[in-house]
Amino acid sequence: MAEWVGPTQSGSSDATPRHAGKHAAPKNRILGNMRKHWILYLMILPGILYYVVFKYVPLAGSVIAFQDFQIFKGIGGSEWVGLKNFKYIFSYQDFYTVLRNTAVIALYQLLFGFPAPIILALLFNEVRLMMAKRFVQSLFYLPHFLSWVVVGGIVFELLSSQGVINALREWLGLEPILFMQEQKYFRSIVVLSAIWKDVGWGTIVYLAAIAGINPNLYEAAVMDGANRWKQTVHITLPTMFPTILVLFLLNIGNFLELGFDQIYNLLTPMTYSVGDIIETYVYRAGVLQGQYSVTTTIGLFQSIIGFILLWIFNRMARKTEQGLW
Amino acid sequence: MKLTRGDKTFQLFNYLFLFAAAATMLMPLLQLLAVSFSSPIAADSKQVFLLPVEFTTASWKHVLQNAGLWKSFGITVYITIVGTVLSMLFSVLTAYPLAHKDFLLKRPIMLGIIITMIFNAPMIPFFLTVRELGMMNSLWALILPGIIGTFNMIIIRTFFMGLPKELDDSARIDGCSDAGILFRIYLPLSKPVLATVSLFYAVGYWNTFSRAVLFIRDPEKWPLQMKLRAYLTSPEELAAVNMFLGDYDFNTTTLKAATILFATIPIVLVYPYLQKYFVKGAMLGSLKE
Repeated sequence: MAEWVGPTQSGSSDATPRHAGKHAAPKNRILGNMRKHWILYLMILPGILYYVVFKYVPLAGSVIAFQDFQIFKGIGGSEWVGLKNFKYIFSYQDFYTVLRNTAVIALYQLLFGFPAPIILALLFNEVRLMMAKRFVQSLFYLPHFLSWVVVGGIVFELLSSQGVINALREWLGLEPILFMQEQKYFRSIVVLSAIWKDVGWGTIVYLAAIAGINPNLYEAAVMDGANRWKQTVHITLPTMFPTILVLFLLNIGNFLELGFDQIYNLLTPMTYSVGDIIETYVYRAGVLQGQYSVTTTIGLFQSIIGFILLWIFNRMARKTEQGLW
Repeated sequence: MKLTRGDKTFQLFNYLFLFAAAATMLMPLLQLLAVSFSSPIAADSKQVFLLPVEFTTASWKHVLQNAGLWKSFGITVYITIVGTVLSMLFSVLTAYPLAHKDFLLKRPIMLGIIITMIFNAPMIPFFLTVRELGMMNSLWALILPGIIGTFNMIIIRTFFMGLPKELDDSARIDGCSDAGILFRIYLPLSKPVLATVSLFYAVGYWNTFSRAVLFIRDPEKWPLQMKLRAYLTSPEELAAVNMFLGDYDFNTTTLKAATILFATIPIVLVYPYLQKYFVKGAMLGSLKE
């Protein structure tokens, strides 16, 4: 980065004080850069404003987890209570229910939802007819663009007592099932609907990795007598591995963030005991009932768990491959 | 390349599986379409399978005459247009300096932005911030708090960084300013990627839901997804007639199907254009130094 500083700096150095010592040099550089490219600084201002106001201010606002926050007193006027809110949530039965639901669903998502696009990308890769491949892919990408309200609506309609799934069951001579009202099906429905919606979309990044593989590798493998399966295991998968790892780490960082939209649109009071997750609970208790400090504490706890998991897995990843940092 | 018998068997099953799975991507929508054009009796007696039974347009007529639904439709069209334009403006103006070789604050700002991808602010402080800004029940709450999608901005930035540096240099020699380079050279060259990102934003605004749940309490200002959700949870409001007094050729089942599709059709209509671009666009989202 140092090379270009010379010429630009000399152009504007007459305007900057000469007596500047070693420490002031970067400051001069920025001033000179601002003078020459002021328009860039102006352009990025709205963007910075956005990130500060809507990302960093709320992040800083998480301090109300350590307060007994009263809306009319504000952060400045509310009483600081240390870790009282943390102690409170850990003594609170509902918190464990919600945490367990979140963790179990997250684990299912990781076990089934995460590998699904990898497998699908490998299957796409075996399709030789370009027309067929493109056609199938464009169908797989479609659900990604539907809202969870729509997908939730579809799921409820198809699984209702008059829905097509129960029509099939009747045709097979089976008893109808009220899927959406029964607790034992809820988590499977969550995982399956998430896979349905995003499995195709998820393949894109893996297909990009596969497309980058040097064809010579396959040719050499064929010469050595490797069949398709062996080529997949020894060439395709290893090449995809760094991509898989990065996506896995990004996933782990948001492990407990399942997405409010999906659960909110699938949940009914009958399935709260298995499906109420941190986000839906925080919405009800926080936004609707005004327990701001306690629900912020829960949200902060969620973020901290995500960060710890990311940190642990990143360390493990660095031992074999490259981590995120 | 010679295929073994095992390879051929695999190929066959792979095709069968992929086509079957791909069909399940479309079938739920087709099933709803069939239900929405069927008579209520057929719909509730499980006779409908992908094709309408006792064809009727009564449900669609009823849904399309629903003023509340059109009002929400209008609100969603409004936030989609205004939001997409503003989001593109903010994203391009942020992406350009971050892709500019001479912008000194590039690294620290980029780092600051990436940190926000890892540390999401909890829902409540976010909610309180937006409320403090006086945006409750304002349509701005559906636009401003998410005006830049970091992923989308990075797509634009990555594309800008891939443009040849010589363009920059020769334009500068011709006396073009940084702003001139952006508007006269970069943007015209970036049309495909700008189209992709606009469509991503537009779909995002069209599907806006959780922010509306948080910030819009006034049903008069509900965007389409909120209205749809309200109708799906209390479909008798959608019917808005006493089903027992009178002979109607629709019921809540057929009406719900038609309403879900009503909210989905615009997406399905832009989808062919969308998919022409998005694969490339989505791949540009990877971070580059």
